[in-house]
Amino acid sequence: MISQRLKIVICNELNLNPNLIDLYNNTEANEIPGWDSLNHANVIVAIEKNYELRFTGLEILKCKNIGDLQNLIELKIVKS
Amino acid sequence: MIDLKSLEDKTVWQRWEYFADTQPDKTAIIHWEAVGKNYRWTYKSLLETANKFSNRLKQIGVQKGDVCAIVIRHNPLFYPFYMGIVGVGALPTVLVYPNPKLHYLKFQHGLVGMAERSGLDWIFTEKELDKIIRPLIVSRRRINTGLFFPLEWDIKDSIAGKGNAELAEIRTSVKMKDPMLLQHSSGTTGLQKPIVLSHSAIVNHVNNYGKTIHLSKDDVIASWLPLYHDMGLIAAFHLPLAVGITTIQMDPFQWILAPSLLLNAISSEKATLTWLPNFAYNLMADKIKEEELKNVSLRSLRMLINCSEKVRSDSHEMFYRKFSEYELHENTLTTMYAMAETTLAVTQSNVGKRATEITVDKFALARGIVSSTDNKNKIKTCVSSGKLIDGCELKVVNERRDTVANDRVGEIAVKSVSMFDGYRNYPEKTSEVFDEEGWFYTGDLGFMDDDDLYVIGRINDVIIVAGNNIYPEDIEDVVSKVESVIPGRIIVFGEEDVVLGTEQVCVVAETKYDNEIELQKLSMDIIKVGMSIDVNIHKIYLVPPRWLIKSSSGKPSRKTNKQRISDNIDKNVWCNK
Repeated sequence: MISQRLKIVICNELNLNPNLIDLYNNTEANEIPGWDSLNHANVIVAIEKNYELRFTGLEILKCKNIGDLQNLIELKIVKS
Repeated sequence: MIDLKSLEDKTVWQRWEYFADTQPDKTAIIHWEAVGKNYRWTYKSLLETANKFSNRLKQIGVQKGDVCAIVIRHNPLFYPFYMGIVGVGALPTVLVYPNPKLHYLKFQHGLVGMAERSGLDWIFTEKELDKIIRPLIVSRRRINTGLFFPLEWDIKDSIAGKGNAELAEIRTSVKMKDPMLLQHSSGTTGLQKPIVLSHSAIVNHVNNYGKTIHLSKDDVIASWLPLYHDMGLIAAFHLPLAVGITTIQMDPFQWILAPSLLLNAISSEKATLTWLPNFAYNLMADKIKEEELKNVSLRSLRMLINCSEKVRSDSHEMFYRKFSEYELHENTLTTMYAMAETTLAVTQSNVGKRATEITVDKFALARGIVSSTDNKNKIKTCVSSGKLIDGCELKVVNERRDTVANDRVGEIAVKSVSMFDGYRNYPEKTSEVFDEEGWFYTGDLGFMDDDDLYVIGRINDVIIVAGNNIYPEDIEDVVSKVESVIPGRIIVFGEEDVVLGTEQVCVVAETKYDNEIELQKLSMDIIKVGMSIDVNIHKIYLVPPRWLIKSSSGKPSRKTNKQRISDNIDKNVWCNK
């Protein structure tokens, strides 16, 4: 389940209206309007800032979809 | 320096054979994996596998001169397969693997467009694309012969004595002037320009450019560049294999997610050369974290070569500041001016010296005049793309194609011993870009200063995003079909993104909508239609009917309306950012 918090961070960074977007665990980044390779780094930085976390490129590379990203965030929160 | 004299009359395949014989155990390609083990091809193992693929290709009926499209993702078998095609005298053409965002009908349309223009004879791809491509084969829409999945082939026993003899005969019959490969210029539709390069063009380029950058047998190239892009294919694949050095090949999709991969590869393999489009400098400087650079040293690097989009001084500076503590030398920051039509390089900045920068009056430059100024508010820094390499000539011309003075901006025209032979099956386009003396008119704007070339933009409205050319008309066409956009009342232009070090795509569209919810929904629909042709639309400006000013041709003027948007004074303009 994708949290409302994560959804809002992503939508804010991509200037999307959260009410017009559906995000599911199996949604892939390239299915989200505006999330392309150039904007990818900005979305990740926005998530890092909001959750006060840091990801490495390899951690992100292993995330196949938004569900994986949500799990990674939760794992980092527990560890910290 | 590598002495290439004895190889001057050898075809590309013969060069590969030469290195497989003379340095069989040297690493040719390191296929880099972000997760998992890298795969190392030696020159011997690479050629042996390429030979097996050649034999199999011959068995299925691939003939000398056939065009073979390859649509395969990052895979260690890609390289010997590509070489195997060359080994039967056929022409490989590497096509971009469709991004999941790209609508399958658009992908089909692009493929059919290329097939109709280039005459694709064979398509070699992955099973996943079977159901998308197969209907094109069945309907015989100019993809003549077949669809195959070479990654599934069992090629262990595919080499036979008779097959070897036949292959040797084919290879002997291939001459230096024969076509060797086909590249497609960037673009989003089937209107891409097919560029054929001969063995001679490739070999001449390798010799001349190799000399310019002081290529030595100890050089190691590191690259994340896609092989459907001329810089990736020529600089990071053909160049190293034609001179017998090592190249590291990484997946562009993995690199963009984890840009530190390139620096880790450079450090661990002691790579010496890498080619990058300008945005990559910003991305790496801005996004790579210190913890991703443990034990990384960039000391081995002797040249980072910035090319494929406008070179920005700030990008070099931020990259150097970030990585100097990782033993990056300032004098590695060099530049190149290149294009697929001349095989690759036309100019290159000096080895062992940071690319020259000059400051000019930006307002004068906008009027086509190169002049200096002390006024800080007027200063623009331009980065040199270097001096001519051997085998190339260059002039800067006005609209009448007369050479202009050095203090004037004009179109860059070039001649090269590595020039392509014209766009395949596209004589009208070919005659447009060449004159009777053989000058190729590039469409790029620039000026000369002290024998250095400075490239400052394009004559037409092509938008260059992260090294890829995007044609505004392709985007205008699809946006025009979005419900509630007034058809034909759209313009698309590129806007400089200082943070990313590249351009971004902006759309201005007329609509009757005027409330926030409707405008937001329409903006989303426009972004989605951009996604369907694999273009990320960065900014959307929605304007009321009859807002766009027409040019003399009767179409909305990109230049005038871009200026109106930049002036930012009209409250009737709604923007998604």
